[in-house]
Amino acid sequence: MKLGSYLIWAAVAAVSGLFVLLGYFIPVNLIPVAFQLRLLIMQWAVLLAAVGLFVGLANIFLVHWTKVGEQSEGWPYSAILLIFFLITLMVGLVFGPDSETVRLLFNYVQLPVEATLSGILAISLALAGFRILSYRRDFISVVFVGTAFFVLIGSGPGLIPNDGPGYEFFAGLRNWIAQVAAAGGARGILIGVALGSVVTGLRVLLAIDRPYGDG
Amino acid sequence: MAEIRCPMCSAVNHADAEECVECGARLTPLIAGDEPTGESRESGLAASAEGQTAEGEDWLARIRRDAESPPPEEEPEEAAEDIEPGESPDWLGQLRQADQAYEEGPPTGDQPDWMDEFVAAGDEETPEADQDEEVPEWLARIRERTQSKEISTEIDDDWISSLRDEEAQLSAERPAGLEELEPAPEEDQEEEADLPQSAPLDLGALSSVPPPDRPSGEWRLTDEEAEAGVDAEFATGPPADFSEEGFREDAGEVQGELPHVPALIPEDTGEKPIIEIDEKVLDSAELPGWLEQIKPALAAMEEEEAAFGEDQEDDEDDLAPATLPSWLEAMRPVDAFRPEIDLEPEDDQPVESAGPLAGLRGVLMAEPIVAKPRTSSVSASRLEVTERQYAQAELLQRLVESESREVRAGPEKPFTLPITRWIVTLVLVVAILLPYGFEQFGFQGFATPNVQSRDVAPLVSLVNNVPVEQPALVVFDYTPGYSGELDTVARSVLVHLNNRNIPIVTLSTRVTGPPLAERLMRAISEESAGDGIQYLHLGFLSGGPTAIQLFAVSPRDAILTGFRLPEGLSRQNVWASPILQDVRRLSDFGVVVVITAGTETARTWAEQTQPWIGESPLVMVLSAGAEPLIRPYYESLNQQVDGVLTGLPSAVAYQQNTGQQAAALQSWDSFGSGLMMVEIILLAGIGYGVSRWLLDRRSG
Amino acid sequence: MIGINLLGLLVLVLFVVLLIVFIAIGDRWPVSFRKIRGYEALLKALERAVESGERVHLSLGTGSLIGTDSAAAFAGLVVLTEIAKVTSLSDRPVVVSTGDGAMAIVAQDTLRSAYREAGALDRYEPISARMLGPTPFSYAANIPILLESERVSANVLLGAFGAEGALAADFGERKQTFVMAGTEDIQSQALLYAVAEYPLIGEEVFAGGAYLDVSPAHRASLRVQDTVRFIIVGGILIGLLLNLLGISL
Repeated sequence: MKLGSYLIWAAVAAVSGLFVLLGYFIPVNLIPVAFQLRLLIMQWAVLLAAVGLFVGLANIFLVHWTKVGEQSEGWPYSAILLIFFLITLMVGLVFGPDSETVRLLFNYVQLPVEATLSGILAISLALAGFRILSYRRDFISVVFVGTAFFVLIGSGPGLIPNDGPGYEFFAGLRNWIAQVAAAGGARGILIGVALGSVVTGLRVLLAIDRPYGDG
Repeated sequence: MAEIRCPMCSAVNHADAEECVECGARLTPLIAGDEPTGESRESGLAASAEGQTAEGEDWLARIRRDAESPPPEEEPEEAAEDIEPGESPDWLGQLRQADQAYEEGPPTGDQPDWMDEFVAAGDEETPEADQDEEVPEWLARIRERTQSKEISTEIDDDWISSLRDEEAQLSAERPAGLEELEPAPEEDQEEEADLPQSAPLDLGALSSVPPPDRPSGEWRLTDEEAEAGVDAEFATGPPADFSEEGFREDAGEVQGELPHVPALIPEDTGEKPIIEIDEKVLDSAELPGWLEQIKPALAAMEEEEAAFGEDQEDDEDDLAPATLPSWLEAMRPVDAFRPEIDLEPEDDQPVESAGPLAGLRGVLMAEPIVAKPRTSSVSASRLEVTERQYAQAELLQRLVESESREVRAGPEKPFTLPITRWIVTLVLVVAILLPYGFEQFGFQGFATPNVQSRDVAPLVSLVNNVPVEQPALVVFDYTPGYSGELDTVARSVLVHLNNRNIPIVTLSTRVTGPPLAERLMRAISEESAGDGIQYLHLGFLSGGPTAIQLFAVSPRDAILTGFRLPEGLSRQNVWASPILQDVRRLSDFGVVVVITAGTETARTWAEQTQPWIGESPLVMVLSAGAEPLIRPYYESLNQQVDGVLTGLPSAVAYQQNTGQQAAALQSWDSFGSGLMMVEIILLAGIGYGVSRWLLDRRSG
Repeated sequence: MIGINLLGLLVLVLFVVLLIVFIAIGDRWPVSFRKIRGYEALLKALERAVESGERVHLSLGTGSLIGTDSAAAFAGLVVLTEIAKVTSLSDRPVVVSTGDGAMAIVAQDTLRSAYREAGALDRYEPISARMLGPTPFSYAANIPILLESERVSANVLLGAFGAEGALAADFGERKQTFVMAGTEDIQSQALLYAVAEYPLIGEEVFAGGAYLDVSPAHRASLRVQDTVRFIIVGGILIGLLLNLLGISL
């Protein structure tokens, strides 16, 4: 793509982004035309996100199809994925997305798998908590583990019985940690993240970063 | 303006100047009797002692006149007879010791008077065909005057006498290079008057070079030389800066030597002398006696020339090799630089048989000469290598060798069983499953909390105040992985809404949201008594936060189809449902409940819907991890979130407060045991970390 | 004017002006950033991966392209540009994974531009940027397969993650690969701190462009963030002081 082409895309991205951004600060609804245009741009964004989902699914299919075709490492898993991909697609197209069959597939395949992964996450986090002091021996890691321990103590029944005399103290401690210390620290992190997000977005709007490519 | 160029330094001077303004050399020849001008004289230069008159052109005119008139007859023998044996000619006595470091050539400029006879003698003669450029001018004139036979004795007498006078004057003022020279004794000067009129050769620059076989300083003729017979005719005045001892009269003793002119003396190599004197000049009757005596020597020289052959270059034949002073001779390169290769005669040389030079002789043979291996004549110095350089060279050699060496693949990392992970997994699984056997073991289970969260009661009150005629919007924005936690917590609120007969409308911004919503609502409906729960699925809202804002502004434009609609209701007309008949805006819903595990989703709903939610309360049902970040929205003065329900303990408390069957208590024991195990694991991890730190510290 | 959020506009203009000013100043006003272990180790890990013929995996997360969590993914795209250039000529170039289709398309465009800039456009493959799954945990479930089949030795997680980010990082740690993880979500940051070898906390995610020296504009962006941060800190302290003195604004 020549120099002029990507400048056009940069201009389109910049204009649309700035238009939507300014709509948060300037009440464009006072100007009906501007309001309608902004609404139109946002609807296009919604449509493009949905189309992007389809493109992503097509990308999944193509990647695994290539792996099966080239019989590269792990191709049997790709073959199984493709088979069930097509079966689910066909069932959904034939019976509809809210049919009983699809509901059964969701309730007895997808839901348990993802719930299991969430359980694995819990185990991984427990293990990480066990190892953290042996991997990183610094003050922050000690504070991290200690905080996790006291919040768990005050979150429910465990080592300290709920009806015991100490539970109220730990419950209050847990509330203080969660609602004061953690909230304050999280706010600070959020402010920094917000600054970074704003500057990153501005770089895209000003065409300094061009994630849509240079050609 | 007339200008004159200095003969020594080529500087431009005024025509009337007598001395050069740059170097001080005489620009006009001195006439006998004139006072020498100028503060300094350049050493070795032919000065006015040569006898050049101030009016230089007069003698030239006289020469010309004499050339036209017959030359006076002279008796060369008379000049020789005037000189008594044992006595050196007067002019020879006038010779000055030349500066050894200076080599003069014949003076440039006007021709002295004593040269007239030579000029006249050589006039009719044709000049030599090969006029060598290095032949001095004065000698060239000699050749030109070979036919001239008239030498004016009277003129000679005049300039000889003028020379005598001038000599006396110059004796007190010597040139720079001739300071150490002493004038000849007066007796020589007196004798000089008797000398023949013919003048000796004026060598000028050549006169300062001593002969090779004579040490420097001996510029006077020896007695032997004097006895050999110096032609007095040619010894009529000392030349300026004359450094020669004198002429060598005995031509028979020294072959090829010219009198008192070492430069004219050829070397033994047979090189031709620089100056070639035509024999015809010598045959002239007007020549001085001393010159007559060198005639045999000249003849001998000519014979040697013929014997030299045609191979000698003309330039070399015309030139007499210069006699180098001893100090210069010592600087000559030694024989080491001379080539070692002796060239064979041409006839013996092989004929080249190949290549572009085929058929030629004298072609350098590559093999026997160039390519012949031979040891260097210069012995190579020993390479000095330091220890460090040895070490570096060895290192480099090892590196190079290691590159070519085949590297064996390192042993693969041994497969280690994740024992720790298995143990942790086993412990947690047992902890979760164990409560199901509590009753068998007689364990009552974990007690319910006696301290409730301060958020529960306001929430209960809020839901109790929701209008019954307005539906409740419940947003299912979590993934199936969080269904285990959030389904339990959200059930409390949904059951409470159902118990108040408030219709529920579900929505989700995730593709898996509608199935999750259907699953939970169906479960609640099956557990509830009566006709079940009234609910409707709006389905999937595509577009993320943008779509949320669109929905908040105009719900009917954002959602066009539903999910698992009841019979009689088509997908294209979900808003025709009786539940939604009065809903036009977000604020038309009685309450908005957002069930999510992510803080970002919760914040998006809180911020995007605020301008359009109106008086309808916003309730957040959150995972325990999202609470800290959403609480500020709940506790701020400008409250954006009206109710928060977080975690299983809060759900248990909510159910107890609303009189629900504590379904959350079913997982309370497992929750408790699992928490306890995780706390134990964390404590074990702390202990393990501290012990390892102590051990590492002890081991250093 | 009625309805105009002047304060918001002012902040926006401040950001733009500071960005332009710092870009214009460039290196004439030198600045030194604090060390971030993750980025320092990342460069070494990239070199190791290239030399050993192994692959680098960059994950842009499961966030949507148009969602509020897309900023971290854009920060990940900046790092992707640099990684792609480094690995473009290696035996196994970088592979990018996302949980969103639109983000996968953007990643493909970024890869193509990076390869073109490195003069290795012929080595670009569209499937180098791929979507692993539409849901977060289905995305995380594909991570071990990708790590195994592509022989990944360096695992970089920079984007929008939920709890599945910790799972993805844990999979990388089990394979003993280099793991550097960062996201904008607070919860996920806490999980990644416990699991990942090189976690990025807070806005360190957005500092990748400056620390990897992608362009002067990225260094200028970091300086803008620091400047505005100090302004906000000053405002908070002033507000706190006024509140303590009983002065309400």
